[in-house]
Amino acid sequence: MSYEAQNVGGAATAAPPTNRMVVAVLALGGFFVALYLFAHNLGLGGPIVCGVGDCATVQSSQYASLGPVPVSFIGVLGYVVLLALSLVGLRPSHRESRMIGGLLLAGSLGGGLFSAYLTYLEAFVIEVWCQYCVVSAIIITLIFFASVPEVARLREGSS
Amino acid sequence: MSRGDERRKAREQGGSDMTKFYVILGVVVVVGIGAVAYSLGSTALGAAAMEPIDVEGLDDMALLAEMAQGVPKGDDDAPITIIEFGDYACPGCGSFALTVKPQVELLLVETGKAKFVFYDFPLTTVHPTSFLASRSARCAQDQDKFWEYHNALFRNQTSWRLETSPMAQFMSFGEDLGLDSDDFEACVKSDRHADLVSANMRLGYELGVSSTPTVMVHGNGQSLRVPVTFEGIQAAMDHLLGSGDPGGAN
Repeated sequence: MSYEAQNVGGAATAAPPTNRMVVAVLALGGFFVALYLFAHNLGLGGPIVCGVGDCATVQSSQYASLGPVPVSFIGVLGYVVLLALSLVGLRPSHRESRMIGGLLLAGSLGGGLFSAYLTYLEAFVIEVWCQYCVVSAIIITLIFFASVPEVARLREGSS
Repeated sequence: MSRGDERRKAREQGGSDMTKFYVILGVVVVVGIGAVAYSLGSTALGAAAMEPIDVEGLDDMALLAEMAQGVPKGDDDAPITIIEFGDYACPGCGSFALTVKPQVELLLVETGKAKFVFYDFPLTTVHPTSFLASRSARCAQDQDKFWEYHNALFRNQTSWRLETSPMAQFMSFGEDLGLDSDDFEACVKSDRHADLVSANMRLGYELGVSSTPTVMVHGNGQSLRVPVTFEGIQAAMDHLLGSGDPGGAN
């Protein structure tokens, strides 16, 4: 990962952090997956197109929403936040930002744990799989791993 | 290499990385929008009529009788006509279609004792997609597959009745029956047959239908509303033909 600082003319600039680029691309992909499920929740499309598994059963289960809020909407919101954080973190003025790094780490960890909980529900409670949920779980896991280098950035900033 | 060269090289490298990043991000945006739009569009309802429409002239009973059209099965000259007002999304209608109607068809319709006529009566307030289901069955009728499609809707009722938009299932039933997919889809996604289904509903209301399935047995100038059992229908037929008590019929 190329996030080492370079002092140019006295102003701190750094090469764009590759890990944040990866997070941005993954978050954008996850956003579209969640958006499709959310659009289905809104009744904008027909039944979920599902080649593998049984998305309709998962999406119509009691676990498909937290109170009045569809889980898919939480996914849309989460991915938008991660995308926004990573894009801001790629701006020259924020490439060294510890706050962005911390938020990316916390967001991806929270999303990953929430996704793990949903995957557990699919596997052991509902006992059917929704392929879009599985894809989303994989994406958020990859985002978490892509965010791990932020730990080094946080340590570097605090030393 | 001087410090100036190093700075320029670093800037160029960073700029090149960002350019590649934006290209990849753009590709993901295009692919994502395309995939979501395609997935939603392929099963969306488009301009499909989902609810009854106002049809001019239905207050005129003569015109209503002309516009409302049930789908008959059996001998036109049969002495008895068994009429069902049904809703494709109603579990009771599904049960009637799968248990009682086969007996009626086998023992009464195919033997020439009675003719069976189905009228659409979608209860749209409780079954939001039943009007669409009725229209889709009429679209199948356009391709001479009404009864096959009618049976498929009831046989697979649990797979679509709670869906917000059961278009994919309807298309699948049509494909299984060998319907021309393009014509069928164009029909279902339009307002075709909305006037006919609306007229059938109005006829039902005029006849006092308030629930589904409602079954009436007509013969010898009389009509009896009967329990939705084979025995109830048989008893009403016997009564109308002068050989028995109508039982639970009213």
